[in-house]
Amino acid sequence: MFRAHMSVTRIWQLIEKRMMSCISVHGKLPGLQRAVGEVRRKSSFRQSPLLTATPVRALIDEQISIKGRFLSQNYPVTVCAQMHSEEGDLWEAFAHYTTNASSSINLTSDHSVGGSYVGCEPMGLFWALEPALGSREGLRLRKRNVETPYMVNISLLEGHTSPSEGQRTELAAVTTERWYMAPGVRRIEIRQNNIVGTLFLPPGPGPFPAMLDLWGMVGGLLEYRSALFASRGFASLSVAYMGHKDLPGPQHIMSVGDSYFKSAFQLLQDHCQVDADRIGVIGLSYGVVPTLRIATTIGFKPSCLICINGAVGSPLLDEDGKSKMFESDQKHWEFDDRGYVSFRNVSLPDNLPPESKRKVENITCPLMYIVGEDDLCTASTENADVIEEALRSAGKSHQFTRLSYPGAGHLIEPPYTPCSRASLWKTKPEKLFTLWGGHPAPHAAAQEDAWKRILEFMETHLRR
Amino acid sequence: MDRKQCCVKLSVQPSRGLMDEKFIVLVQNALPGSQLTIRALHQCEDGHSWEAFGHYTADTTGTINVSEDPSIRGTYSGVEQMGLLWSLRPIPGSKPGLRMRKKNIQTPMEVTISVYQGHQTEGFADLVPLSGVVVERWYMAPGVRRIPVTEGGLTATLFLPSGPGPFPGLLDLWGGGGQLVEYRAALLASHGFASMAIDYLTSKFTMETGKMVDNQYFETAYRVLQQHPQVCGSKIAMIGLSFGTSMTLKMAIYSEVIKLSAAVCISGSHVQPVEGSVEEIMGFFQKNAGKTRFNEKNEAIWRDLLLPIPTDPSLKADVGRLQCPLLLVVGEDDQNWPAQESALDIKEMMARAGNSHLLTVLSYPNAGHLIEPPYTPHARSSTFKTVEIQEKVMCLWGGQTVEHSRAQEDAWKKILVFLRENLYGGRNPTSFSHL
Repeated sequence: MFRAHMSVTRIWQLIEKRMMSCISVHGKLPGLQRAVGEVRRKSSFRQSPLLTATPVRALIDEQISIKGRFLSQNYPVTVCAQMHSEEGDLWEAFAHYTTNASSSINLTSDHSVGGSYVGCEPMGLFWALEPALGSREGLRLRKRNVETPYMVNISLLEGHTSPSEGQRTELAAVTTERWYMAPGVRRIEIRQNNIVGTLFLPPGPGPFPAMLDLWGMVGGLLEYRSALFASRGFASLSVAYMGHKDLPGPQHIMSVGDSYFKSAFQLLQDHCQVDADRIGVIGLSYGVVPTLRIATTIGFKPSCLICINGAVGSPLLDEDGKSKMFESDQKHWEFDDRGYVSFRNVSLPDNLPPESKRKVENITCPLMYIVGEDDLCTASTENADVIEEALRSAGKSHQFTRLSYPGAGHLIEPPYTPCSRASLWKTKPEKLFTLWGGHPAPHAAAQEDAWKRILEFMETHLRR
Repeated sequence: MDRKQCCVKLSVQPSRGLMDEKFIVLVQNALPGSQLTIRALHQCEDGHSWEAFGHYTADTTGTINVSEDPSIRGTYSGVEQMGLLWSLRPIPGSKPGLRMRKKNIQTPMEVTISVYQGHQTEGFADLVPLSGVVVERWYMAPGVRRIPVTEGGLTATLFLPSGPGPFPGLLDLWGGGGQLVEYRAALLASHGFASMAIDYLTSKFTMETGKMVDNQYFETAYRVLQQHPQVCGSKIAMIGLSFGTSMTLKMAIYSEVIKLSAAVCISGSHVQPVEGSVEEIMGFFQKNAGKTRFNEKNEAIWRDLLLPIPTDPSLKADVGRLQCPLLLVVGEDDQNWPAQESALDIKEMMARAGNSHLLTVLSYPNAGHLIEPPYTPHARSSTFKTVEIQEKVMCLWGGQTVEHSRAQEDAWKKILVFLRENLYGGRNPTSFSHL
C-alpha cells in the first residue's frame, strides 16, 4: 500500500518544500535523521508525548512558553533547540529537565539541571544557542533577510543527553517561527540623497515617531533592530556608512561624514509618515559616535538618544567625520593567547584625541547610555563616566540614564538571541578574530532588560 | 499636527496566532476619558468584507485593555476579549446569507484592527484611524504537513503534526454540503493529532460515477490512517458535524474494521436506517423533506425531518453497543437537526444498555447548528446547497451570536481536553463529567 524508494532526508526536504503532493512512505522507514547524531523512532504501539510552544509564531522579543505533557512521572528528558542560520550553519541549545508528578514539564517554571543553561530560563533555548560541534570558528548570528522568520525546531529527547551524542531517542518535536517583522510592517529600500539605508514603517496611517538606527564598524546594512522597532510602532531607518557596495569609496573605510548622517536624519524629518518632532537616534558601538555628533550639531534636535557601548570620540575621524582606516593605528590593540584582539583600549577617554570628543554638555535631550561591563571592544564604562560627568557639570543630570550590566559584553542586541563572545572580523591579509566579551547568561539577562528599558524610554520620549 | 494622532498606540499580542488562540488588544497613551472605537476589518477569500467594532472609554491612564474593559456598544458589548473576531459580520450592503469559511488553510486570515476617535458606527472607510495593526490568524502551525490522499480511491487530506510521531489519529467529517473541508483538521494537527479530513459526499469517485461511496470508503480511510508509519494505529478517533455525526456513529458502532478510541459528534443525530448505506441514509432524510418548515424570512428549518425520535430500533444507531467514549455537542437552538432531542434519546438508550459512563453531553442554550472552532463569525442562517438538493436554499442554522460564540469557545476547549485525555492520556474509558 505504501511504497517509497527515497531516502528519509530527501523525503523530509520535499515535505518541507511542499513539493510532494502525495506521500507514500515505506512502512519500515527508520525515522528522520538529524544533522548531528542518529535518532531512533519509537514503535507505533504507544503514541508520543505532546510538546507544545505558544505562541508558535512569535516576534524575536516575545517570550514563548514550551511545555511537554503525557510523559512518565519523574522522567529525565532533554529539550533541544536547533536552527540553521542563513549561511547554513547549525546552531543548537539543549537543557536537562525531569518531569514532575503530573508527568509534564513547563519551561516557564521548571529548572534546567544541566546543558546550555541551568536554572529557570523560559527563553534559554534561544539565547543559549551555539554553533554545533564542528562548525567554523567565530560565527555570529545575524539575520540579513528580515522578511522571513527563523525556523527553530524544538525537540524532546529521552534521558539527559546532548545533540552531539549518538543514539538519542526523539520523543516529540514542534517547529516555531521567530520573526523580526510583525504583519503589516512595510520595508522600504532607501537609495536617495546618497543615503544607503532601509526604512521600516509600522502598519497604520501614521504619522509615527521614528528612530535613526546606527550600527558599528563591522559595516554593512543591518535591518533587524529597525524591523523590530517598526513592529513596536516606531518608524525606523537603518543606514549603512561603511562596508556596503552602494556606498562611495573602498568598503573598509568610512568615506561618508557628518553630512551623511544629517541627511539621514533629515530624510526622516521630511517623511510624510514621520512626526518630525519625535525622532530619536540609537547607536551601538561605533554608531555612538555619529549619534553624539548629530545631537551636538546645530539645527538638529533629536528627541532622545540611546548609546550602547560606544565612545564619545574617535582617533580615526577627520573634521568632516570621515574616517581613516581603522587598522592604521594599532598601538592600543591587545591580543589574547589565541591571537584574538580586544580594541577596548583604543576608546579609553585618555587615548581619544581631545578634538574628536564631542561637547556632550550641549545635548538638550534625554540620553540613555547602556554599558556591558565585560565589553572587550569599547571602554564603555569609562566613556559613560565621561558623558555622565559632562552632563552633571552642565546641570543636566536629569537627562542622563545609565544602565550597566555585569557580565554583559559589547553586542547588546535585541533579546533572546545568542551572545557572541568573539567573532571573525576579517580574513585578509590573515584571519583576525575580535573579542566582544560577555558571558551567555548575564549577557542574555542584559539584552532582555535593556530592550525593555529601550522601548520604555522610546515610548516616554517619543510618544508622550 | 494633532498631538493625539501620533500618540495613541495600538498593539495586539500575539500578532500571529492560531485561529483558536486568544489575543490581547491594548490601546495606550490615549487621552484619559476619551471615547474611542476599536474596529476589526477582514476581507475573506471570496472578496466580501467583514467588520466588527466596540465603543470604549480610555481610563485614567489613557489605556484600554479589551480583555479587561467593557465595550459599551458595537457589534459586541461587555468585556469580550475576542469580540472583535467572533462578532465580525458582513459590512452593510453585502449579499445576504454569507458564511465565512477558509478554503486555503496554508495562508493566514488577515485582520486589520484599528482605533478611531470617538464612538463611530459606520462610514469607517472614510475615516482615518488613529492607529492600526495587522493580525494574522492561522489554521496551520509551522511544521504541520498537508498531504493530499488519493490512496484507495479516497478524496481526503492528511495533516501531520511536526515531530517524529507516532501521533494519535483523527478522522474528520463534515456535513451534507459535501466538499473537502480542511480547516478543522489542520487546526487539530496543530494540536498534535494526525488528522484526515475526508470528502465522502462529493469525492472524485462520486463526481465521476454519480454513485455515492459505500461503507468501505470510511474503512479505507481508517486503514490508510492506521497504517501510516507516523500514526499510532491503536489511538484513532473520529469527529463529525451534522451528517458527519451519522457516519461517525455508524462506523463507531457497526464497523468490524474501525476501532475508535473516542468519538466526537457535533450537532447531529443517531436517527438513521441502521442497515443503510450513505445513499440510503440520505434517502431517508429526503423522504421526510415534506416536514421542512419556513420561518417568516423564508429560511428553511430542517430539524423536524428526523422528528419525532423513532422508537423502532432499526431506525436508530444502537448507541448501547458503543465501546468507546462519546462526546456529544449540542446547540439547543439548532434549527437544522434535532440534536437536543437526539442527545436525550441517546442518553436514555445508553443508560438502559449500561454504557452511559462512556457518554459526555455538552449542551448550550441559544447555540445553533454550526458549532465550529472558536473566534469565527456566527452564521444564524446562510445560503446552502446539499448534495441532494441541487439548488441553493436559505437555511436557518439557529443560535444567538453571543451565546453561540461562547459555546464554540467552550466546546472547542473541551473537545481538545477530551481528545487529549483519550488519545494521549491512556486512561481507561470513562465519562468526562468534570468537563
